[in-house]
Amino acid sequence: MAKIMVYLVLALGIATVLFACGVLLTKDNLYAALYMSATLILIATMYTVYGIHSVFVLITFIFVGAIGIITIALAATYRFIPARKVNIYWIIPIAIVTAIMAYTYYLYAYQMSATIVRGCDLTTFPAIYLLMVVFLVSLMALLMLSAIKLVRGEGS
Amino acid sequence: MIWFLLIVSTVVLFIGYLTAISSKDLIRLLISLELMFGSVFLALIPLFMTMPLSAFGIAVITIFTSSSELLILIVAIMLTDKKYRTISIDTVSVGGDTID
Repeated sequence: MAKIMVYLVLALGIATVLFACGVLLTKDNLYAALYMSATLILIATMYTVYGIHSVFVLITFIFVGAIGIITIALAATYRFIPARKVNIYWIIPIAIVTAIMAYTYYLYAYQMSATIVRGCDLTTFPAIYLLMVVFLVSLMALLMLSAIKLVRGEGS
Repeated sequence: MIWFLLIVSTVVLFIGYLTAISSKDLIRLLISLELMFGSVFLALIPLFMTMPLSAFGIAVITIFTSSSELLILIVAIMLTDKKYRTISIDTVSVGGDTID
């Protein structure tokens, strides 16, 4: 069982990186959006390997299902192939972030072992974190209102 | 396998960075941001091993707030196209508000 889990995570991880490379390498925005959606679905699938089905549902339905599809529709509408330009000085912040992450992984990654996670459920979550859910809904309502204000302000 | 998950997360994050800094239109920038959020979701898996309920709370907050942010960005892209008739990144990188 554990061996199958390891092989599954390895296969999913490699496929995730390959699809992410597709986003970087493709020149067409539509294909980039499709590769991005596939990458996110693979990431969500990794959650199911560890038994975290509720997060899989959230990522797939909300992130890929709603935002990803809108992005694909936008990319299909604005489907031109732009030229690329990369400033060489961006290597400096990337190197700094790499060093910090490598040090953190070196310190903490080997202290944890991969197991199937139990105890997080979407049905019990709102009851336990009621105040947080209320704040989250308020935050999202405010963000949506700001989007409506943006559109109305532009129209008038 | 935790190290493998974190490495995959880092690689996806850097691909997102590279896509963002090499993009010349706002759609590609939006796609790269979504990719970066994807790597954040992947980096959350190790937290589920030690603190499942807290990790789930963080995952819910991350998913909903990032979705809302991306929705605002989509609206901003549409408005930029409506106003400037282009979605080139140069239209926003040379812009900015002025203080009266």
